[in-house]
Amino acid sequence: MTSFFGRLKSGNAPTSPAAGTTPLKKDPNAPEATPLEKLLLNAGPLRGDGSDKFFGFENFGSTSYCNSIVQCLYYSVPFRDQVINFPARSPPEALERPTSSSLPKINTNLPNGQSSALSPTGRNSMSSPNSRTPAKPATTPGATNGAPGTKPEDNKDSPEYKKKQALAAGPVLQMDYENANAYGMNESLFSSLKDIFEAVIAHRSRIGVVSPHKLLEILRRDNEMFRTPMHQDAHEFLNLLLNEVVENVEQFSKSRVTEVGESEQSENGLTVTAGEVVPDRSSTASHLNSGWVHELFEGTLTSETRCLTCENTSQRDEAFLDLSVDLEQHSSVTSCLRKFSEEEMLCERNKFHCDNCGGLQEAEKRMKIKRLPKILALHLKRFKYTEDLQRLQKLFHRVVYPFYLRLFNTTDDAEDPDRLYELYAVVVHIGGGPYHGHYVSIIKTQDRGWLLFDDEMVEPVDKAYVRNFFGGEGVLACAYVLFYQETTEEAMMKEQEAEGLAAAKQATEMTEETVTTPKANGTNGYHHHTYNAQTPTVEEEDQFASLNHAATAPPLAHVQTNTEHHPVEHVSTNVPPLGAKKSNLMLFKKSNKEDKERKAAEKELEKQAVQKRKEMETQRRENYRRQEEELRAALAASKESATLEERKRVNGENGEPSTTADGKGTNGFGSVKGVSGLSRFRHTSMSLKGKPKFWGAGKDKDKHDTTDDTSHADSEDKSDEKEGSKNRFSLGRKKSTFKF
Amino acid sequence: MFVLPPPPRYPTGGYPGLPPGQVIETNNTLTHPTGPEYQLVVGEGTYVLRDDLHLATPPPHPSEAPIHNPNPLATDIKPPTCGTKLSLVALAPRQPSHSQLHRFSTRNSTRSQVPPSIQESPHESHSQASDTGPHGINGFASSPLDGLHTPVFGEGNAALAVINGKDSKDPLKRRKPKNNIVKSNSSFVSRVIPHESLSKRLQEHNPNGHYAFANVNRALQWLDLTSPTKEEHLTKILFTKAHALCHDINQITKGPNHLDIVMGFSTGDIIWYEPMSQKYTRINKNGVINANPVSDVRWLPNSENLFLAAHTDGSLVVYDKEKEDALFVAEEFSPSAEDVMSDAGKKTHLTIKKSVNSKNQKANPVSYWQTSSSKINAFELSPDRRHLAVVSEDGSFRIIDFLKEKLLHYFMSYYGGFTCVCWSPDGRYIVTGGQDDLLSIWSLEDRMLVARCQGHNSWVTGVQFDPWRCDERNYRIGSVGEDCRLLLWDFSVDSTANRLRSNSNLTSASMPDEEEVIHQVEPRARTAMLPPVLAKTVDEHPVAWLGFEEDCILTSCKSGHIRTWDRPKEGATNDDSGRSTTSTSNP
Repeated sequence: MTSFFGRLKSGNAPTSPAAGTTPLKKDPNAPEATPLEKLLLNAGPLRGDGSDKFFGFENFGSTSYCNSIVQCLYYSVPFRDQVINFPARSPPEALERPTSSSLPKINTNLPNGQSSALSPTGRNSMSSPNSRTPAKPATTPGATNGAPGTKPEDNKDSPEYKKKQALAAGPVLQMDYENANAYGMNESLFSSLKDIFEAVIAHRSRIGVVSPHKLLEILRRDNEMFRTPMHQDAHEFLNLLLNEVVENVEQFSKSRVTEVGESEQSENGLTVTAGEVVPDRSSTASHLNSGWVHELFEGTLTSETRCLTCENTSQRDEAFLDLSVDLEQHSSVTSCLRKFSEEEMLCERNKFHCDNCGGLQEAEKRMKIKRLPKILALHLKRFKYTEDLQRLQKLFHRVVYPFYLRLFNTTDDAEDPDRLYELYAVVVHIGGGPYHGHYVSIIKTQDRGWLLFDDEMVEPVDKAYVRNFFGGEGVLACAYVLFYQETTEEAMMKEQEAEGLAAAKQATEMTEETVTTPKANGTNGYHHHTYNAQTPTVEEEDQFASLNHAATAPPLAHVQTNTEHHPVEHVSTNVPPLGAKKSNLMLFKKSNKEDKERKAAEKELEKQAVQKRKEMETQRRENYRRQEEELRAALAASKESATLEERKRVNGENGEPSTTADGKGTNGFGSVKGVSGLSRFRHTSMSLKGKPKFWGAGKDKDKHDTTDDTSHADSEDKSDEKEGSKNRFSLGRKKSTFKF
Repeated sequence: MFVLPPPPRYPTGGYPGLPPGQVIETNNTLTHPTGPEYQLVVGEGTYVLRDDLHLATPPPHPSEAPIHNPNPLATDIKPPTCGTKLSLVALAPRQPSHSQLHRFSTRNSTRSQVPPSIQESPHESHSQASDTGPHGINGFASSPLDGLHTPVFGEGNAALAVINGKDSKDPLKRRKPKNNIVKSNSSFVSRVIPHESLSKRLQEHNPNGHYAFANVNRALQWLDLTSPTKEEHLTKILFTKAHALCHDINQITKGPNHLDIVMGFSTGDIIWYEPMSQKYTRINKNGVINANPVSDVRWLPNSENLFLAAHTDGSLVVYDKEKEDALFVAEEFSPSAEDVMSDAGKKTHLTIKKSVNSKNQKANPVSYWQTSSSKINAFELSPDRRHLAVVSEDGSFRIIDFLKEKLLHYFMSYYGGFTCVCWSPDGRYIVTGGQDDLLSIWSLEDRMLVARCQGHNSWVTGVQFDPWRCDERNYRIGSVGEDCRLLLWDFSVDSTANRLRSNSNLTSASMPDEEEVIHQVEPRARTAMLPPVLAKTVDEHPVAWLGFEEDCILTSCKSGHIRTWDRPKEGATNDDSGRSTTSTSNP
């Protein structure tokens, strides 16, 4: 088999690089395997869960914001599993395929016994226009810069060249079709995301390129601000995508509730392999866990406000899907998070409306995390509005981020306050300012170590590479969104051990191979990751456990029909013991048996939590509703504000609160600091209610409208008054509250 | 208008914010900034910045092609670099340090619950101890723990003793390295620039003053910190590509005509350098024993020849400065060596790949230990010369009895890696700093975490006890970090005693077995949090190193600024008479 392909390869030398064929190396004219292909040599049989697929994403002109975020979500194991299993895992045969004949026919029969899963037949054999000399020169680290004057894509080490190669090599999955009907859903961002995930997993090649046409089409159709071919904000896209997914999923569950008639068992398990599953389009709502996005990304913030006049402390809970933190020069993520929760004085223009003593009072306010999310998406606010320049400016501050993290800013009653997080993905922004640039993501995959996803190109990188993006003066590439996921100390130690073993073997390999192996970019990564194979068993187990947990969690679908009113004040008392976990201390000590017991107990707790969570959910929704109303009222009051007036009124009439202005402040563009906190939480919360158009028109305009700032302030001020609380309007602060 | 920042033109220069690399060799500069932002106000008085010595960052070696438009996403692996660190030495016999006093007072301490201090146990006076006798003239006798004759590393091994014995016959005539570094045609050393009047300056050197060896980028500079022209280096060595990541001066062999310096490089090479004669020897040449960068290096206590180097693959290697290299093959001394390989689940935290007791001592390494395979960021030998504290990038912190080559304790960080470690002058406490922005204070006796210190806004890069402000109950700790700040902490045993007791019960209950060396992470709720007594920005760049001297605090940053902060003047310390009498009453 291999020899056949070897012959095939040597037959047409200037074709795409194909891995898995060792005879390749003997052919001096054959293109050298890319580092990724080398990494995937002897990869074993394909897995059904998509954890061993490494597809790049095609860039249609500054769509790297989308590519980088979708990659980060794909490699979140629980998220990917939930996407492909919601509402049910579709058998690949049931899904529509692109009809374009130029594309390889996607074979859904997973070649399970086949060791070489990178099927050269499946790969497009277009020769690249640049592959006149197909043999890649042996590269030495540091020699990546081409001589000035040559085109960047002529350099074989340039990302441009590699991307072209990747596109030429294929297979290219043209995601211009949609299977929403097959899922029983309406066409939405979620369905197109699911299409992509399903297609990638079903494809028999491990590597390739996805062309996410449909996803972008839907995105642009529904969101005007993403319509322009301009540079977009990756964090805004993440926020939008998560909110949309939440909404799509919940809408679907709601619609399912009405058709409870046919009850069919739905497969929640992950072990289902393609072909075994019966198309299951009518699973009952009770089987569907529509709250999984909440469970994965959502945490709860508590803002405690202590009125300095009456000493009365009031609490309010707010949900968040990601945290946006202000940056300081020469700081750490830990410090940014601590600053986020530092006490804030509400005074002067920013006074607090105290219900107890009535009227605006000076108050102390602090925000702490009450419920920790499973996946902590940390947005570093690198785009900041500077009044001097009257525009957004990129902050190049050096902000260090550790591979592991715990949160200091939890409330005293938070469960598992010592929860351990591991860094699994970094979205990097490369560029001098907020209006142009490029995004890539660096992601830790389940068993292949860290990979760099730069649009079409996927390349293994050394773990130390992840630390290249702390930022600093004159450093164009810096981390913008960090994804931390929940982990345990055992998992951490096991992984470190596996890394160590890999490194040790790599060292010996290196000494043996130094003469023969040309040291190409990322070669170290190759060695490193090749021997990382011990990890998967460990990690899989772990992640599966957490996933089971998520999947068996009680469904929240029917909760949504509950429109009962709950006083908001009760929110804080109803902390659902969600994902009840023992402290890490315990985790560390426990035996396997205890582990099982713990899980059982967890499930029990989970059940008990259902009721509470239901209440929470309704309360939360009620919160959102009320916030929205209030904002609407506030907006009405702010109509005098000249520049905003028009837009806001439009939004108001639409019944959509104008989040455009504040949205910007929160979501990536920390332009209006004082306001941003407000909008941030209202945002996440609001989007839970499902307002697909909440980005509204004029967002783009807004973004560049430098005079907006003051008007924001004005309008915001007024709305604050209406809401009974004043936000401190200062560029230096991030949070604010409004009491109702 | 917003202007694109220039692309970094000096990408290998350590801290990315470094000014673009100069094309020509430049001189160090000395400035004397004044003003309130250059003062540290603490309880005992005000520390004032004496001066700021900026070491010139050398330009890249001509052989390195300048990178005009670097790819910010380039995936090639850059060699490790580190900020400027100093190794200090005073030739004169050191003024008896207060730590000696502390030790005595510790013994007579009223703190009855404290078990006999660990220093008291090793009273075995070994024959080998006589070895250390002759070194007294070089200031060794004044070492704080001189009264105690701790066993010397590897003394039980006759194979080692023979070689060691040769040397101690005439301590004044020290063996020098073989090669002249100035005339060297080695491709490793690029250039050596001695000061034109080096010998004159050496004669003028105040024996009480400090010589400093400081690395900056690919250069190592020898400085005289008490010279009126201290910005002029005594000697500057430029290495071709390698960066010196760590260096240490042998305090036993130092003398007016001799200094033994050992440097560890990013290439894994180690150089033993004698600056007075400009001689050097290269050890672990081209990484023949271990090819990984050397992250920390220290002379072993009481040893003229042996030093310990930590490589980034997690190995701790003892080298002999005078031995030849030999290709290292692990000697299976401990069964744990197989354990690591065979059973990933059951891991050992210290594997002896070659024991010091090995009979095969003809060549380096003398001994070879493997911790985990994670990078060792720093290690420190305890004042009692028995223990070794090792901190790693994986967030582990080991206390090793290096004489017995045995792991005593294994602790873990709250999260993230540990970056630095230091022992209290009396050896009872160890402080670590890490990527969780915390200092952690550990008690050796109680085998537990005593307190965490929160105050840094970024990773901690350096931590030191201030021996001049420590007594048996109160400890002054200083720390520096990536946040460009210096923090001072006053840690008092009493203040944490209650907490300490209750916690230790818990901890000891959870592991009554002496063999169980692994300690789990303490949850935040159960740990005392200590606030700093001073937090002040001391540099524009992340600070890399910190040192306490009798008259000053020294800090150095990632781009080569060495700042000297004078201690408060005597008059200012009236409010603190108790302590100042302690520190002035020493003979």
